[in-house]
Amino acid sequence: MRTDQKILLIGIGNNCRGDDGLGWKFVELVESMGLDFINHEYRYQLQVEDAALISEYDVVYFVDASYEKMDTGFELRPCIASDEEQVSSHAQSPGAILKLANNLYKKFPEAYVLAIGGESWELQTSLSEVAERNLVEATSFFAELFFETEVAETVFNG
Amino acid sequence: MVSQDKKQILISPVTRIEGHAKITIQLDDQGEVSNALFHVNEFRGFEKFCEGRMYTEMPIITPRICGICPISHSIASVKACEMIQGLQPAYTGNLLRKLIHIGQNISSHALSFFHLSSPDFLLGYDSDPAARNIIGLAGKFPDIALRGIRLRKFGQEISERITGKKIHIAGIAPGGMAFPLTEANRQALLAWIPEALETVQMGIGIIKKFHEENEELVNSFATSPTLYLGTVGPDGQHELYDGKLRFVNSEGVILQDQIEPARYLDFIAERSVSWSYLKYPYYKPLGFDAGFYRVGPLARLNVATRMNNPLSSEEFRKFKALGDGKPVHGTFFYHYARLIETLSSIEEAEKILNDPEVTSKNIQTQGRWNYNEGIGSSEAPRGTLFHHYKTDETGKLTHVNLLIATGQNNPSMNRSITEVAKQYVHGSDIKEGMLNRVESTIRCYDPCLSCSTHAIGKMPLKLELYNHDGELIREHFEN
Repeated sequence: MRTDQKILLIGIGNNCRGDDGLGWKFVELVESMGLDFINHEYRYQLQVEDAALISEYDVVYFVDASYEKMDTGFELRPCIASDEEQVSSHAQSPGAILKLANNLYKKFPEAYVLAIGGESWELQTSLSEVAERNLVEATSFFAELFFETEVAETVFNG
Repeated sequence: MVSQDKKQILISPVTRIEGHAKITIQLDDQGEVSNALFHVNEFRGFEKFCEGRMYTEMPIITPRICGICPISHSIASVKACEMIQGLQPAYTGNLLRKLIHIGQNISSHALSFFHLSSPDFLLGYDSDPAARNIIGLAGKFPDIALRGIRLRKFGQEISERITGKKIHIAGIAPGGMAFPLTEANRQALLAWIPEALETVQMGIGIIKKFHEENEELVNSFATSPTLYLGTVGPDGQHELYDGKLRFVNSEGVILQDQIEPARYLDFIAERSVSWSYLKYPYYKPLGFDAGFYRVGPLARLNVATRMNNPLSSEEFRKFKALGDGKPVHGTFFYHYARLIETLSSIEEAEKILNDPEVTSKNIQTQGRWNYNEGIGSSEAPRGTLFHHYKTDETGKLTHVNLLIATGQNNPSMNRSITEVAKQYVHGSDIKEGMLNRVESTIRCYDPCLSCSTHAIGKMPLKLELYNHDGELIREHFEN
């Protein structure tokens, strides 16, 4: 991972809806690490103007909670610009936002989706135990992309 | 997804609206539409969730209800809190709240028109559905797509330059605002005004051209008369932030005027229906059905006597001429009304930014719990919004009622889709374009069923199938 790149983390979700707050919580944790080469944004949902936002960056991570069961509790996947899926306002997909950035701004940031598994979507401000566990796994993995392993261990083991 | 059997057509989820919903069209034995229903699958339950919390938390919690109009919730909430405290907000604090609210209105209306609805106008109702969206629009009309995005950015930048954040903003507090507007930020926002005015006037040009070229469709599209509710100023002028309630009937006769929002329950009742979590509100004095009313841009222009600013006043005059002085009932005119409101909001923003007090640091008065009930309202982009709180003597909430705009339009949305479905859907050979016209009826109202989770993976979706006797014959859940 190159720290001379402009990097953006976008947490997507709603922290009043249980594990849907995973995206925001992840970004909060990374923000607390004080890495000045990473910028942070929080979204309830992606909207068209986010295409303009991501067009200003070299690397973009979309971080969202996922209904999917994943062996590791999270997955980091390449984000593919997509015009095949139906685009709807309430849930612009990361792929659609990337496609808009390509088409409208002629920008092609390297983009990823970080999906973190959750299981409880009720009205509550806390995460489920499963989500908490997956959050720690995902954050540890992400930190190792940016820190020396030793530093990452310090951050996550106190 | 479009599923089709002999007697039912299901469009689910409705695309390009906020949140999740589905429409069921019921056909009779001759293949003609007998009924159409708009379903809302989400149960929010926010009211119960808030009970037991301190009332002062509500302006922070309730914006989480909605990712599209969080500021309207915050404003209605803070007004309810001020009623509990018996507090008047500071002049500048109130001005800044009004400015932020205007910003949200510009941003929300820009999304509705430029990105959700204009693909129908510019690409055509019958064009390829895979490309009839913002990406298709960006391909064929990049300038319009870019301008729409910048108009949204202007609206959001108002919040950002006052509070430091575009969403889940802080700072809207009982007594005013927690943050002042700096001179540099005032200047930066003023610099947006000419471009914003130009963009919305371009939008008005698009809708007028569509009206001219599709006169028959526009004038016959879901035109059933209803009552209208909106907020007005002391002499009936259009209002989004503060004011009193006005109801007019389908002929434009004022039924109620200068009603304190705190008296909303004297005039509005609600009834549950079997197919939707949204209740059916109605104007109480006329009863269920006869008392169906609409809110939102079309309603606000129908109840208003005048606008507050010159450019929007000129468009308002043309809008009023459409109804020959009476309310404009055509649902399609929601789009035109939305753009006139956007124009007015930009003009109003300029006026506020030029108020000599807008950068004052005297932005908040202080208060404490004094009364155990508070009611606040605001005109959200989709219509009149009410927050109603009751507390115990420690300030903990014992009762919360939120009457949202989309709920108030629910009866009329159902009536409108039935009308449009009957007009455009015939026989067994159902074309996608026909169904898109039914969906676009809902987009006219720009409903917000948001406040839901948006995690990766499918939302839980409940399908209910009814026979012609109204009996539930099949239930299906998808996860």
